[in-house]
Amino acid sequence: MHLAPASLLDADAGDARKISVAQVLVYELRVRDAMSKPPITAAPTDSLRTIQELMKSRRISGVPITREGSLMGIISIEDIINALDRGYINDPAEAHMARNVIGLRDHYSLLRAVAEFDRHEFGRFPVLDSSDRLVGIITRGDITTCLMQHLERRAEEAIAQEATLRASRVADEAADRVVVRAHVRTGDYDSAGKVSQRMRQVLRERGVPPEIRRRAAVVAYEAETNIIIHSLGGEIIATIDPDKVIIEAIDVGPGIESVDQAMQEGWSTAGRLPRELGFGAGMGLPNIKRCSDALDITSDGQKGTRLRSEICIRKPGATP
Amino acid sequence: MKTPALHKFQPLIAALEAEPLTDHWPETLTGCYISDLLSDVLAHAEPGMLWLTIQTHRNVVSVAATKDITAVLFTCGRKPEPEIIAEAEEEGIALLTTKLTTYEASGKLWRAGVHGENDHE
Repeated sequence: MHLAPASLLDADAGDARKISVAQVLVYELRVRDAMSKPPITAAPTDSLRTIQELMKSRRISGVPITREGSLMGIISIEDIINALDRGYINDPAEAHMARNVIGLRDHYSLLRAVAEFDRHEFGRFPVLDSSDRLVGIITRGDITTCLMQHLERRAEEAIAQEATLRASRVADEAADRVVVRAHVRTGDYDSAGKVSQRMRQVLRERGVPPEIRRRAAVVAYEAETNIIIHSLGGEIIATIDPDKVIIEAIDVGPGIESVDQAMQEGWSTAGRLPRELGFGAGMGLPNIKRCSDALDITSDGQKGTRLRSEICIRKPGATP
Repeated sequence: MKTPALHKFQPLIAALEAEPLTDHWPETLTGCYISDLLSDVLAHAEPGMLWLTIQTHRNVVSVAATKDITAVLFTCGRKPEPEIIAEAEEEGIALLTTKLTTYEASGKLWRAGVHGENDHE
């Protein structure tokens, strides 16, 4: 019995410039991963007739002949045809088996196995472990089936991994976003600054520079007091993302008669009580505008006012 | 924004004839701002300043916190409610009160060397 020499395979393994998944698998997978096991064997004393029945019932075309696990020879379907032809089908296997059998080690790569099939033009190889025990049989069909199964598994793994990545990215984005929102009641001067306070806390924890924290806080505070002083109630929402803070103030009206006028410093429609408390200086919207990187205000008498301010967060040292 | 000169806070307490209302107060001040209009303070006060006002409701603490103002001096003998003092403690803002008027207090501050250091916008 011979084992295929390694030197024969170097030529086939040579060109590794373009490597597909299948090629990687051919390197990675071993003969033991693809072989049929346990092998269907016969004893040296079994008749060729018995082996013929075995081939028919198990739908195989070659049977290794073993004694106590050691490979003695092999009977192929050609040997059976010859036996039938020449009339010795009842002889024992040991009388006609091929004795110089070429086997493959179970640890060989499939690449090497393919090269052996090309070289020897056999339909199958017996597979031996490192103690020369017969552990399986391998055919080209086994290699193809094994590769197909692994390609399919790799594809499924890749899809699953991509899905996991996508899910974790969505989770990360969701985790990075903090939304602080509160219902704001008209005339509730004592509650002014609640959203602003919580937002400042989040920004501080995130290490946002103080100057940006203050700007966001002024916008939230002024927007909140605007709802308290001027509207019939509304909501303030601060959405804190890693790169920006969006402050939205939505009230149910009455709207601002003239946004242009309200944007002028000192122009105020606040009543006596808020003015006594130090509100209504006519500086709310100008303050918001000065502190925002982007500002959008829409207002009408029926639907109230929607204010949306954006403050960019630039980390210290980062170029804007 | 230029870096403001720092003023030691402790000597100013005596100069202002002030009574501290909170347990802690800052080591230094960056300057002073005077206004009773909250939006005006939000627009013009700078971090680390002392703010003089006659307003004593809880929005004073919110505005001070919003602008990182470190101390508030209530003039004309005004004092906020205890829960407002507690809120200021939580926010780390020092509260003081003085019987002096805002005008008198600002004169004492100027004499003590706290001059106008605001960037006039």
